[in-house]
Amino acid sequence: MSETDRYMFRRNALRRLAFGCVALFASAGIALAAIGAAQQAVLDQYARQAKAEDAKFTGFSAERGKAFFLAQWNSGHGDTPSCSTCHTTDPRQMGRTRAGKDINPMALSRTPDRFSDISKTEKWFGRNCDTVIGRSCTAREKGDFITFMAGQ
Amino acid sequence: MVKVWDLALRLFHWSLVISFALAAYTGFLGRRNLLDFHIIGGVAAGALITFRVIWGWLGPTYARFRSFPLSPRAMKQHVDEILAEYRSGKAGSTKSRHGAELGHNPLGAAMVYALLLFIALTVLSGVVLLGGAVKQGPLAFLVTWDVAGLTRDIHQALAIALLCMVGAHLAGVIFESRRESINLAASMVTGLKPVLANARPVAAFRARPWLATIILIAVAAVIVPTTIALARLPGLGVPPAKLDPVYAQECGACHFAYPPSLAPSDTWAQMMDGLDHHFGENAVLDAATAAHIRAYLTDNGAEKWDTRPAHLFRQRDAADPLSITATPSWQRFHRDLPAALFASKKIGGKGACNACHQDAATGRFDPQAIEIPEEAEP
Repeated sequence: MSETDRYMFRRNALRRLAFGCVALFASAGIALAAIGAAQQAVLDQYARQAKAEDAKFTGFSAERGKAFFLAQWNSGHGDTPSCSTCHTTDPRQMGRTRAGKDINPMALSRTPDRFSDISKTEKWFGRNCDTVIGRSCTAREKGDFITFMAGQ
Repeated sequence: MVKVWDLALRLFHWSLVISFALAAYTGFLGRRNLLDFHIIGGVAAGALITFRVIWGWLGPTYARFRSFPLSPRAMKQHVDEILAEYRSGKAGSTKSRHGAELGHNPLGAAMVYALLLFIALTVLSGVVLLGGAVKQGPLAFLVTWDVAGLTRDIHQALAIALLCMVGAHLAGVIFESRRESINLAASMVTGLKPVLANARPVAAFRARPWLATIILIAVAAVIVPTTIALARLPGLGVPPAKLDPVYAQECGACHFAYPPSLAPSDTWAQMMDGLDHHFGENAVLDAATAAHIRAYLTDNGAEKWDTRPAHLFRQRDAADPLSITATPSWQRFHRDLPAALFASKKIGGKGACNACHQDAATGRFDPQAIEIPEEAEP
């Protein structure tokens, strides 16, 4: 390896490291920034409820939220077996109602004001949990769902 | 050759042919969204008839009504002469050429008056129909749907009669052309006819084109602004274009916010009673919002309005009374459209009225406002 090659290698390595750091901070920043104060208040309320529903509750999980979002429930109203029936399997994509109306993406990175109003959030969980699953959702499920969407 | 038909008369004749053809084609065969062309044809025919009446009074000799009076006696005489020619076996021979009239013969004259009258009546009935049925034009503020229903039959009967009359007119032209050995259609292009030795004398008149123009402008100066002013008045029984904001927000979140005039009040009440099973989904609202929307819908149901959709969609399907798309009228209007069209991404379902009806949100559903997205064409 010549002097120049060594220099180029070091320079590329440094550059990659720098890029990696920036990317890491940026994604963490986006994930944090996605949850605003209003959304945090909604999440806090669901956390209190989840604690009340289940003493062993320790926190929300984006992983569980993702599984919930992608699950094929087949237990609600017949035309809507899963969330993806209308929202697609990618939360960053536009969705569409069965009546043909566009739905803004669920991901907070694309629709930053989602889950910022508790009554609106409750209205839609109330409707769609019944429509898709055939029952009400638990506070933990709702919090998991929002946590998943906040990271998308 | 002698000049019989003046330039203005010839232009009138062929313009009327074009207007009539346009109105007849769009009326009998065209799709509904061609209504504007039908209206253009009708308005043009109306304007041409107005000109012809003035020209029949102030035009040159053969254009004047006085040169071809409506005379049952002369008509009978003309028929008798033709029959006599046939009996004597001289039919179609140039020797039998009678042609005493350089202008319209007595039967042709009667046809001119009949055509002028029937075209005028067809145009007028069309204006009434336009006002009552689709709430457009100068009489939209005045004519009810029920009157429009009757007028529709009259307009159609007149149009069919006109088609028959045009057929008779063409048959007459062909018959007389052969009988007189003159190309009468060509005469209506050139204005010229061969000189007749035995032409009946008619009183000659000089045209008064300037006076005719002034009168025509004066008539237009009255009719055109009046028509425009009347057409701007709100249509009779047309709902306000703006929807209740709460309704538009809540119901429009999932689907096109159907104007309340598209269903009767009791259908809306039934709809609001079943929001937990709303077309296969739970669409429950909080009590206050639901009450507000229910009041808005039941206060503004179809029976309150006089628009075409408000009347047609009152009749519901017994098995599926809540669906507008299940009504017999909806089915009838959309029967030629393939299922793939509605399934296309651009449209997104039968319930998305506004995908093709540009004015769907107003509840008007004007025929001219139909625009099927091009990418969605199957």
